[in-house]
Amino acid sequence: MPEKVALKGLAAADRYYQDYGFRARELKKQGQKVIGYLCAFVPAELITAAGLVPFRIKGDVNEPITKADTEMETIVCPLVRSCFDMALKGNYEFLDGLVVPHACDSICRTYDVWKYTLDLPYAHFINMPHGTGDASLDFYGDILNTFRASLAKFTGKEISDQALAGAIKLHNQNRAKVKELYELRKASPPLISGEELTKVLIAAMSLPVEESIEMLGSVIAEVKGRGEVSARKPARIMVIGAQVDDIAFIKLIEDSGAWVVADDLCPGAREFLSSVDVTTDPVAGLAERYLRKIKCGRTYREMEGNYEEYLEDRFGHIGRMIDDFGVDGVVLYIYKYCDPFGFEVPQIKSYVEAKGTPVLYLEDEYSMSTIGRLRTRIQAFLEMLVK
Amino acid sequence: MSEEKKPEERKKRRTATEAASKIGPMVKASIGGTVQAREEGKPLAYSFICCCYDEIIRAMDVVPIWTENYAGVCGAKRDAQRFLERAESENFSRSLCTYALCGLGFDAWREELGEMPPEAPWGGQARPDMMLGSGQMLCDPRNKWYQAAQHYMPDVPIYDVGLPWPPYEDDYDYREVQDYYVKYIVRELKGLVKFLEKHTGKKMDWERLSGLVDLTDKTWNLIWEAYELRRAVPTPMGTGDAMNTMVPMVFMMGTQECYDYYKDLYDELKLKIANKEGVIPDEKYRLIWGGGLPSWFALSDFNYFNSKGAVFPVETTYRMIEATYNFDMDLSKISDPLEHIAWRWVKFWTYWHDKARKRPGSHPDVERLIKYIEDYKIDGIVMHEAFSCRSWHVGLIWQLNLLKKVYRDIPSLILESDIVDISSYNEVDTRAKIDAFIDTLEAVKR
Repeated sequence: MPEKVALKGLAAADRYYQDYGFRARELKKQGQKVIGYLCAFVPAELITAAGLVPFRIKGDVNEPITKADTEMETIVCPLVRSCFDMALKGNYEFLDGLVVPHACDSICRTYDVWKYTLDLPYAHFINMPHGTGDASLDFYGDILNTFRASLAKFTGKEISDQALAGAIKLHNQNRAKVKELYELRKASPPLISGEELTKVLIAAMSLPVEESIEMLGSVIAEVKGRGEVSARKPARIMVIGAQVDDIAFIKLIEDSGAWVVADDLCPGAREFLSSVDVTTDPVAGLAERYLRKIKCGRTYREMEGNYEEYLEDRFGHIGRMIDDFGVDGVVLYIYKYCDPFGFEVPQIKSYVEAKGTPVLYLEDEYSMSTIGRLRTRIQAFLEMLVK
Repeated sequence: MSEEKKPEERKKRRTATEAASKIGPMVKASIGGTVQAREEGKPLAYSFICCCYDEIIRAMDVVPIWTENYAGVCGAKRDAQRFLERAESENFSRSLCTYALCGLGFDAWREELGEMPPEAPWGGQARPDMMLGSGQMLCDPRNKWYQAAQHYMPDVPIYDVGLPWPPYEDDYDYREVQDYYVKYIVRELKGLVKFLEKHTGKKMDWERLSGLVDLTDKTWNLIWEAYELRRAVPTPMGTGDAMNTMVPMVFMMGTQECYDYYKDLYDELKLKIANKEGVIPDEKYRLIWGGGLPSWFALSDFNYFNSKGAVFPVETTYRMIEATYNFDMDLSKISDPLEHIAWRWVKFWTYWHDKARKRPGSHPDVERLIKYIEDYKIDGIVMHEAFSCRSWHVGLIWQLNLLKKVYRDIPSLILESDIVDISSYNEVDTRAKIDAFIDTLEAVKR
């Protein structure tokens, strides 16, 4: 494909990260249709299967939010406001459509603001349920079939089971590559820094899945090939939060004298470390993965057993990651106005601390203007950790 | 409680209707009733308004503790700050829903003490036996709040009812999907019945439930008819009062007491209209409260509007009913009570879709505003943006922009504060904004 970045590995990721949307813009020029979406809860497999290019919309912590405030209340999560601001400022002018999932209030309640303001040829809301019981799973299957039919109406072509199965296979391959990349973080020091990894994952959000697989493969080869290049740092940190789609915060931690070696973030472990099962009805596999396998505060997991078992069900993956990646401390990084994660802070904090791992809780506003304050808190936390 | 934290004493707000003035004692009795029910060993459930499980819990003799209501009471009594601060000290962000924060702060305190926090407003909020959350497009705290409350009450079980409704989309009509929405809701409600049976040790009386469902339909229709009377000029009741009269609608639905309350309200409004008795004698401006929950600690702002010659004959907030006979299906033909509830829910939330479909570029929320503007002869729109609540307070600017685009430009005002957190409120600034808005209305009239 012409115009595709000739670079490979980390250099390619850096290029796609620095000029986010570069590749989608090129594909649009070549006549492909690009569908923007918010959040990890949009099954991009369906967009791929429809012959469209899925493109994850991101914000920009370096860009003050200005235009968005004329259309959207400032009580919305600052990440969503920043994404919307970027769209209004023309950064995503190549989009043919928009897909918004029922993720959180800030995303759900602004769907109409996005839809009517951008006025793109295509818009769809995925009304994902909160619960994870059988009734919710069946309902979600119906919701996904409505989305499937809606995409088919837009493209004028049905999405066959075969096409969907093919797309699922590709997206699973993409996830497998990310998983391979995460394995490289387990070494001490890690073979890939948190900043590099974050950049790669953000770049991947902007690419068609085949190109993402290719880029990830070249990154893995490069990282493995360069051997141990990281300097030793005294602490290994895990970051937990919602969508961190900029390297600034991860870089801040690493510049303060620690490695970020694990996360429960999007893009990150939350969305990449679980795959879609191959099922007779491919939609059933998608429903299972997005509703039950992604453990995010937006989804309500029904309690089974006692309260301790319930916490283990909700946060056990965090505990396992702390062990597997040799994590010394956890930074709980929550945006202001974030309901799904904000309400979980006391529970996550006490769960992790009960395992003997210290936690730093930071509330932030998705802006570089707060970086000085955050630096002070992180430095103090790291000092405490290495004492 | 320290001296400086004692709530500021407030004078009782003047209401236009007798019905509205009855509400304070009713709420007090209801909250006191839950504390008494606790002592008597009756099953108690933390509950949310607008979750369509009212008749089910009533039929099971479960006593609801309306947690949003208690937070609102703390706010109205200007005694919420100490509970908000307690929640903050537990690491809950102050940017989260302040109903939830007030409740969580209260719960944390009560559980720590093993008794009600000192001088708890109206006797305090009783400890529940269960919590009934819900998953909706409306509000994340409806499933996150109670889940967070388990941090302090790990022994209290939760049932979370999935209650979606079809969104308004361009490429399909809600009728194409409504069947599977109803099917899902019915399964979720069945799960709720099973949960209640397990935790109360009592079987559902389906006949009783059917009776309560019918009573609710009747009550919805009566409320709609009573509220429509407010179209009269001068209007006999404003939004300030409606923020009181909503109490039976959202906290007592499925009870005879609720129906009787609205019968009294209906009769009172009829009488006022016959006597040409309005909220104020000389209406200059008729306004709609077009979005947002009120600042419970500043309901007297409605009286301030009145003092400037402005009345609110209608509001979208807390008008959580439609006349069921206006739906495109006859609910009375649905004999299964859970299906009946589910269909009523879906029909309520899609009620304005058809109207929006007829006006290019419009939206159901905007169509509702337009209908009210025309029916109630409205001169201007007032909204409130509560900083802590994304459920009802996001999309207000967009609605106003769209209204202007598809209908007409109409003077509007968005007030900014909160539902519970009084630290966000500045009376002088608020009233200066109201004054400026009145000037605009005056200029437009001229």
